[in-house]
Amino acid sequence: MPNDDVKIKVRNLTKYFGDLHVLDNISFDVKKGEFLCVVGPTGCGKTTFLNLLTKLIPPTSGELYINDEPADPKIHNISFAFQEPSAFPWLTVEQNLEFGLKIKNIPKDVIKTRVERIIKLLGLEQFRKSYPHQLSVSSEQRIIIGRSFAMYPDLLLMDEPYGQMDIKMRYYLEDEVIKLWKEFGSTVIFITHNIEEAVYLAERILILSNKPSTIKKEVVVDLPRPRDFTDPKFVEIRKYVTELIKWW
Amino acid sequence: MKKTAAYDQKRRPIKKILNSLLPFVSITCLFLLWFYASNINPDLVPSPASTWERLIQLFVKPVNKMNLFGHVWASLQRVFIALACATVLGVTVGVMIGWSKTFKAIFGTLFELIRPIPPIAWLPIIIMWFGIGEFPKILIVFIGTFMPIVVNTYTGIRLVMPLHLDVARMFNASNRQLLFEVAIPSALPPIFAGIRNATSSGWMTVLAAEMIASKAGLGFLITRGMDYFDVPLILVGMLAIGIVGALLAIITEFIERLLCPWNKKLEQD
Repeated sequence: MPNDDVKIKVRNLTKYFGDLHVLDNISFDVKKGEFLCVVGPTGCGKTTFLNLLTKLIPPTSGELYINDEPADPKIHNISFAFQEPSAFPWLTVEQNLEFGLKIKNIPKDVIKTRVERIIKLLGLEQFRKSYPHQLSVSSEQRIIIGRSFAMYPDLLLMDEPYGQMDIKMRYYLEDEVIKLWKEFGSTVIFITHNIEEAVYLAERILILSNKPSTIKKEVVVDLPRPRDFTDPKFVEIRKYVTELIKWW
Repeated sequence: MKKTAAYDQKRRPIKKILNSLLPFVSITCLFLLWFYASNINPDLVPSPASTWERLIQLFVKPVNKMNLFGHVWASLQRVFIALACATVLGVTVGVMIGWSKTFKAIFGTLFELIRPIPPIAWLPIIIMWFGIGEFPKILIVFIGTFMPIVVNTYTGIRLVMPLHLDVARMFNASNRQLLFEVAIPSALPPIFAGIRNATSSGWMTVLAAEMIASKAGLGFLITRGMDYFDVPLILVGMLAIGIVGALLAIITEFIERLLCPWNKKLEQD
């Protein structure tokens, strides 16, 4: 991988909660515009790993670099799609999508153009004046994803955003996230416990070990899109990743 | 199983009609009871007819140069002025106690100490300090309306979902933006519930204040009725209090629906 392509560098990331050693010396790079999935056994510290990348909680040691600078939420644009439904109930769909952009004091005309683009891409035209509680849970989750992409983030972190969806809705939203990612060329780190989802979405999968977590293996997924769950190559990669995660 | 469901569906419209009729039934029962009681002792319990006559007479021969509307307006004016001041000050103080730990440490305990004192208990001391003019009455109502607004605002701010604050922090929101873009909008439904409580509490307080020292207002009308043994006038005053109080509740709820359209609780009602 040529170095000028690297957008994100994570170096020696370590986290202790008191005596509990959760993450151990994790280092990896993410290319500009890459879709990276992180999988691992239940309770291995996936969410802690992501929270450290958001800079909401400090690591015990290690650093995250964006464009070779230490990541700083004041300079860099890090966006995070939370696991729980986190749309603001007092704002309409349109206002929710505008929220982050307004906070960052982006000019009004830019906000308008970006939000229109997201609304169009997600097919939310008829819901633009609706409040989140008037929508289904899946539509609410689409607002959250849209809100994150609207920031044109340097790094977009997603923490199992479809964990609460049924399988049909999941497939639909996975395609939608791919559509947005291709359109915006964002650099995405997507955490999931669902191996099939990881193989479907990722260009590369990082497999975490049990606690204290390290990177056990990197798997490159070079299947063409749209991907087919029944494609023998797809099944082969899925089985391979499953074997690597098995702790039993 | 099917039979039961069909039976239930058939019964549902009947139940709906019955439920919509029940309020009229209860009001009719109250009137019948009133008729019955007025037959036993018409001096102490005047009949609905004589109460109605007294109401008409109030327009022909006003009490203290004011008809019923004049007295209602006199009471309402006091409530509105006090409520406006209490809303501005109460929301500000509530937000400050809810948002700033230092402010809570300074004023929280003090507020908890003053809060249980009912507004009426302030009456004697306020009359002694400020006399019996318009200001002391408004001040009493202000005390009655200020407390529920502060408590609800404070609670609303404390209950802001940490997830919502985290989302805003993720977008690098400043402390000011966290307060004005997340905490206050999120606390608006409880703040409005506080204003609704304050309106009814203010309405009760103004009447009590007027009953002690006043020359206009519904509380004054009732006291005048008691002084002159004019029981129909007391009843006219009481009925007006009930009707205006109910109208105030409807108006505040309407404003709340207008300003907090996302509030699920209102939609369910």
